Amino acid sequence: MTTRALRRVLVPFAVVVLAVALGVFVLGRSHVQAGSPAMENPGIQLTASAASRYGSITEGRTLFEASCSACHGAGAQGSALGPSLLARGAATIDLWLSTGWMPLAEPTAQPVNKPPRFDRQQILDIVAFVTSLAPGGVSIPSAAALNLKTADVAQGFDLFSLNCAPCHTITGAGDALADGYHAPPLHGVTARQVYEAVRTGPSNMPPFGPRQITPAQLRGIIKYVTQEIEHPASPGGISLGGVGPVAEGFVGLFVGTGACLLAAFWVGDRTEREDDEHGGGQEEDPKDGLEGAHV
Amino acid sequence: MIDAVYGWLDDRLNISGSGRKLVNKIFPDHWSFMLGEIALYSFVILLATGVFLSLYFIPSSKQIVYTGSYVPLRGLHVSEAYASTIALSFNVRAGLLMRQMHHWSANIFLGAIVVHMCRVFFTSGFRRPRELNWIIGVNLLILAIFNGFLGYSLPDDLISGTGIRISFSILESIPFVGSYLATFLFGGQFPGSAIIPRFFIIHVLILPAIIAGLLGAHLALIVRNKHTQFRGRGATEKNVVGAPLWPTFFAKTNGFLFLVAAVTAILGAAVQINPIWLYGPYVPYHVSYAVQPDWYMGWLDGALRIMPSWEIHLPGHMVPNAFFPAILLPGVTFTLLMAWPFVEQRITGDRLEHHLLERPRDRPHHTALGAATLSFYFVLFGASATDVLANYLSVSLNFVLWFFRIAIFVVPLVIYPMTLKICRELQHTPGGGKTKRHNIVLRSPEGGYSTVVSQARPGDEPPVLEPVPLDGPELVGAMATGADRRSSGPLGAAATGQGGGVAGASRARGVFRIPRSYR
Repeated sequence: MTTRALRRVLVPFAVVVLAVALGVFVLGRSHVQAGSPAMENPGIQLTASAASRYGSITEGRTLFEASCSACHGAGAQGSALGPSLLARGAATIDLWLSTGWMPLAEPTAQPVNKPPRFDRQQILDIVAFVTSLAPGGVSIPSAAALNLKTADVAQGFDLFSLNCAPCHTITGAGDALADGYHAPPLHGVTARQVYEAVRTGPSNMPPFGPRQITPAQLRGIIKYVTQEIEHPASPGGISLGGVGPVAEGFVGLFVGTGACLLAAFWVGDRTEREDDEHGGGQEEDPKDGLEGAHV
Repeated sequence: MIDAVYGWLDDRLNISGSGRKLVNKIFPDHWSFMLGEIALYSFVILLATGVFLSLYFIPSSKQIVYTGSYVPLRGLHVSEAYASTIALSFNVRAGLLMRQMHHWSANIFLGAIVVHMCRVFFTSGFRRPRELNWIIGVNLLILAIFNGFLGYSLPDDLISGTGIRISFSILESIPFVGSYLATFLFGGQFPGSAIIPRFFIIHVLILPAIIAGLLGAHLALIVRNKHTQFRGRGATEKNVVGAPLWPTFFAKTNGFLFLVAAVTAILGAAVQINPIWLYGPYVPYHVSYAVQPDWYMGWLDGALRIMPSWEIHLPGHMVPNAFFPAILLPGVTFTLLMAWPFVEQRITGDRLEHHLLERPRDRPHHTALGAATLSFYFVLFGASATDVLANYLSVSLNFVLWFFRIAIFVVPLVIYPMTLKICRELQHTPGGGKTKRHNIVLRSPEGGYSTVVSQARPGDEPPVLEPVPLDGPELVGAMATGADRRSSGPLGAAATGQGGGVAGASRARGVFRIPRSYR
């Protein structure tokens, strides 16, 4: 084995070993940090076996300790790895869990949409547990708040264009923001998620209170986002992702003009000229201008 | 019957005299000579679909309450231009197809112009006596870009309105005269109510008329100067070898019209373009993310995005940031493009007439320069999608921005030597770039295998080079340029070797004063 081949094997191996070591170190630290405040803080005594209006606090506590406490602390009071969840309200907890943002798959700048880890009842149990620790925050919307029967979809579109499109884009495709943040796509979101996101303002998003967007206006926005933004019957053919004319430009250039080029290549002459000195064709004298054609 | 009509017309117009000459016009045949025709036929499609659209479009900024068939907009205040575009999309038979064909056709039109321009540039088809036609062509490109932008702006939807807003600011950024120009064009401050009707008249009448006129001049100059041709098939500087206009070229080019129309119609029918109902009406204080102009303006948007926020403060006057990427860059671009035939004449000292085209590989530096320039604008086009790329690649927007700020310099610097190397390698490779002959594997009855090369087709053999007399009298005239050029290349030098090679080659270079650096 030559030195070069050896190096080719050893270097990736060393990288993997280092990464694993680093991972063990970081995770170990996080457990210590997350565990310690709860131990020092026996004052946070949980009202065990109680049930809130959302679900079972006991079940929620078990799930929280298994999946959330490593970063947020056993009492949801937060740690160096995760913020406090106290008084954040039921809507926040529900939104972050139902979108799959939490638990984090990897420590990115901003969590990404993924299938939720917990089912509906488990989410409500966790909500019940966290909200039992401290009151406050936005509640999970009632069915009446999400009743879209009388909602004004055009007004919702107008407000969406004003308040949401600057980040989520007017087609709801989502887009990248500065410093690694992004506005997630709004396709396939539920009415409850839209409500909770608007009212609580997750991550980089500003919260919009009921004095900025009234409940009726919010129902309009929810109706537009959940029913119209995907435009189930949008005419015109294949959608190019709703990311603006740059996609159309690529298709126009490479598919449109490209197909025309292929057509030209098909129709036009493409024999190798260089060596074919005495091929067919007729001659014309270029000096004659318009007068000089002869057959 | 046809003969009778023809005879009647001929008696009065004498069409058979000049007409005979016209139909006998010889067109050199090569697929790459049909690229301009894509643009020509796209223009025809644009006119046809555009006339249809103009029957239904209402060029007015007047605000009305939308009451049409598209439910999410009902009750919103929109301009008549926007409402009529929605109506012609949804309520006019074939309206959406026509609109989408019109828009796709515009994208193809500009694409074909650029590709055609590249063909002329890379084969050196702009040299004397065709400098004038090159300039006309560049002007057609500029007008087409402008007209495309105007058409894109007319529906008065959210993202085109944002584009108009940007163009207003760009106009304002011109030193000293900018604010006057902007208010003059917009009839006051942005947005005003004059802009849609004005853009409409410029888009459907003024610019198409100028484009049609220049297009006529462009084609007339081809007839006047004759079409250029590649070497081979007995083509020389003094003849044109090809097919006559009637019937061969006519049949071919009409078939091609239908093919271009078919591509446009398929795209228009199958792929959604500019779905303005998703964008909503333009409201000056609304803005959407992930919006860009159409691709032919995309390089300007990209330049605006990656330009650092520099401004020049003169005493009593500030030159805004937008001036550099949005006014200076296109100004320099198009000035250089128009001046290029003359710039090149200064560089090479070659002011002779040329009717034979060069293969790109035979002018490596020229080709490398063109490729590097193209890559520069392509990187700019890519930069118009910084946010979309960051989102799709899940990387930071800031990273993408800096990537493009560096790539804009690095990519052309990489492309230039790469192209140069490829050209030179091709020069040294007989039959380089041509289809290789197949290897045929044969199996004998006994089970053994053997390989033979397939039968040679025309063009498979390396070119047979004939010695070029370097001191002959024909060298002085316009004729020998092409052949002589090649004789100073590596292959030519070998061919002329027996006749005093190196000295002859260098003397030939002396005749045309082509600097070593530009060969």
